[in-house]
Order: sequence, then C-alpha cells, then structure tokens
Amino acid sequence: MTALLRYQTALLVRSQRWLAPVLLYAAFIAIGVQWGQPVLDSLGYTAAGLLPVTAWLVQLCAGQEPPAARTVTAAAAGPARAHLAALLAGLGCAGLLGAAATSIVLLISKPASADSSVRVPLLPAGIAGLLAVACCVLLGAVIGALCTRPLLHRRGWSVAATVLLALAALVTGGSPANAAVTGLVTGSRTGTVHLPVLSLVAATALAVAAAALVGKVASRRA
Amino acid sequence: MLRGIDLDLPTHTLIRIEGANGTGKSTLLRLLAGIDAPTEGRISGRRARTAYVPERFPAALPFTASGYLVHLGRIHGLRTPEAADRARSWLARFGAAGHARTPLPELSKGTSQKVAVAQAFLAEPELLILDEAWTGLDTAARDELDRAVAERVASGATVVFVDHDPRRLAGAADAVFRIEGNTLLAAPGAPATGTGPRIRIEAAGPPGAKLPAGLPGAPEHTPAPGGGVRLTVAAAHSDALLRTLLTAHPPWHIRHVATAPARVESPGPHRSATDPGDRPTPEAP
Repeated sequence: MTALLRYQTALLVRSQRWLAPVLLYAAFIAIGVQWGQPVLDSLGYTAAGLLPVTAWLVQLCAGQEPPAARTVTAAAAGPARAHLAALLAGLGCAGLLGAAATSIVLLISKPASADSSVRVPLLPAGIAGLLAVACCVLLGAVIGALCTRPLLHRRGWSVAATVLLALAALVTGGSPANAAVTGLVTGSRTGTVHLPVLSLVAATALAVAAAALVGKVASRRA
Repeated sequence: MLRGIDLDLPTHTLIRIEGANGTGKSTLLRLLAGIDAPTEGRISGRRARTAYVPERFPAALPFTASGYLVHLGRIHGLRTPEAADRARSWLARFGAAGHARTPLPELSKGTSQKVAVAQAFLAEPELLILDEAWTGLDTAARDELDRAVAERVASGATVVFVDHDPRRLAGAADAVFRIEGNTLLAAPGAPATGTGPRIRIEAAGPPGAKLPAGLPGAPEHTPAPGGGVRLTVAAAHSDALLRTLLTAHPPWHIRHVATAPARVESPGPHRSATDPGDRPTPEAP
C-alpha cells in the first residue's frame, strides 16, 4: 500500500493538477482569515472551506491515471487497493493542506472569544481546529469518492453532485462537518472550546463505509 | 459477453486465446488478470503475483520511463534499488535503454509498449497476461519478448496471451483456446501440431544421467548418433532449454545447436499421451 500511495501522490504532485484546488483554498483563506480575528471563528472557516477542496483533490486522484496505466496498476495490486490508494493520496494531501492552514490561523488570530471578553487557550483551540479539519476532510473525501468513477463516470453529473453534496454536508444540521464547524463558531461567542470528537467518529464511520462500497465497485469494473 | 467458461491455469504453462475481433478476448484477459470481476461465477485460487500488458500503452504520466518502472516495481513488492536495477536491465533487453530518462509522454508508440512490457517482466510475475503485447514493437523486441515469455514459463509462471499473428509463439503454446459464440473451446490439436520454427539441440549428460524433468518447451527427444540425446523444441523455448541444461546439477554438455529442418513425419511429442493430467480443460456447458 505504501508503494501505491507513493505512486499516486507522485502522480498528483507532478501533474500540477493540484494547483487549482490549492490556489482556490489559499484565496478562500486569504479573504476570510484576517490578522487578529477571534481564533475559533477563523478555525471554523478554515475547516469548512476544506470540505469541497478535499472532494476536488480526491476526484483528481481517482481520475489521474490514463485507462491503460490503470489496468496495469490494477493487475499488479488489485483494483480495489489501487483505487483506495488514489483516494487516500487525495485525502492525505487535503489533510496536510488543512494542517498548514490551521497552524497559520493559530499564529495570526486573536486568542479570545468573539467579543474579546474571554481568553481562549491556543492549545485546546488548535486541537479542536484540527479535529474539525479532520471531520471536513473525511466528509469531503466521502463525497469526492462517491461522485466520481467507478460510481459516476459522466463529468457533468460528477461536478453537479459534488457541489450539491458538499454544500449539503456543510449546511445540513446533523452532518459531522456541520456539527464540528458549528461547534467552533458558537464556542467563539462564549470563548468555550468544544472538541468535536463525536463528529469525528461519525465522519470516520462514513469514510470507512464509503471506502468499502467504492472498493467493492472498483473491483467489479476498474 | 462470455458465459460458461471454465479455464484452469496450471503453472509452467503457455496458453493462447484466439477469437475474432469483438468476441471478448480482452474481456477474458482482464478477468484473468483480476482487473474486472465476473458478473457470475468466480475465480478461485490464491491471487498470484500478476502482471498485465495492455495492447496499447499511451500512458501520459508525469514520469520518466525508469521512474515509472521503479514505481511499478515497488507496487509489485520490490525494494527501490532492486526495482531500479531490473528496470534498467529490462529496458536494455528490449532495446530501450537510451529512453530510460525520457518522459513517458514523449516516447514513441513502440517505446511506450516496451515500457509496458518491461513493467510486467521486472516483477517476475507468476501469472502474466499479454493482450497483443507485441503490437507496435520492432522485430528485435518481438523476438526478445518471445524469449522472455518462454523463460517465464520455464521458471514456473503461467502466461496467457492473445495475438493477431497466428504464428506468434507457434508450437510453443501448451494449450490453445478459441472464443466462439459466448464460450471458450479448446482449439483442436493445436499444441501438438505446432508448426513454428524449431531448434535442434544435441546434448550429452554425465554418464548414466537422465534428462532433467520438466524441460522448458517439453522438447521431443531421440538418441543422438554417437551417444547423448537430440532435443527438438520450439524456437522460442530454445534459450530457456539451453539454460536449464547448462545449469542442471550436474550440468549437461551442449554439442550442437541447429535449426531443425521443416517438420515432416517426426515422432509425436513424448508428452502427448502420457502428459500429467493438469493441462487446462475448458468445459463448455
């Protein structure tokens, strides 16, 4: 699996297709995160923006091998493993991006509640931010994986479904990503840090289920 | 669509699949390679170390030829230095050593195909699936591929291939199957009536030694004039056969190697009647 991950990550990095989603995310952060804003608000914003970006990166990885190369990899490693490695490469890159953005936010934000009345300790805030990033990355990866090959082959449908589902995952109450982000933003009003542990468990369960489903379909028709 | 196919893939076997265009040869090969799964039925047995060579390999990947091969070698389970070594030697074998550092998108069609072939062989696969892998290769590389296939079979692998050229590895295939309608039939008498080029080897063993068992290409053997034995084998297998004889314990001495005269009425292959019963048998329902 390490070799497959190395291969898929090298493909993504060298293809430079990662530039568009990463630049989009950088612009999103640059617009929304300013020096001296309340830290929990900025962390919530950082995590939320990562969800559609993760879906995009995961879909880039799932489709980056030309069909001939894909059959060669699938024969060598098994189609399910080959496909999961592609999805994991996308997820891993999104995770790194989220971790980097979270560190920057922690460095430049004001460690206080929204009305500056309560001090917010940076360490718990950072942990909560990383957990929220993990929730959004996992959910974004689930959406990315479900809205591309081998389940959805048509590009138009794929893009439409990804955008709609990503939006739904962010705004629907009860979605792990929404819960994690809302926890950060509402916590910012009172200066309390909520660790979104339950949301992370739910997001992980969803990701495992999606991986099992997609792996099964990938080994039917690579 | 294919139905009711029952195909056994024993070790040390070269299997040819024939069929008209669009009958599902590639589909069958993809099933055998484990790339796709059958809608009904199953593929049993341990998943062998598998390598697959597609008919065309226009892989626009952002790697150099050797960079890609090292990645694939690692995916096949090799360590990085080992993968790099084998990548170099297989590219050299197919005459593409000069392109090791060329980016894949800049390679010609034939050289890309050599990379696809090298990818499959560097893993020393137990199951090798070739879907018209010879297409686009130059003559030297085609012959080299024939020999590499025979070597793989000699060292115990199962090789399944499709090629549009009916003379491809003629006489070297252990079994030939034909896709007709939706099913797979044994092509009648194909393995025994091989008509490809043949090589005759005269060899002498240490006094009293018997021929090693399971020689590559299952050569016909007759006593040679002046002692020793005369082996006749399909040309593709001759290198592997010589290697086996020379590296046997104790080693055999090679006296003479020549192209065999066109086959007239030769004694049937010694294996035809008493062959162990593990040859593939298709059973159409």
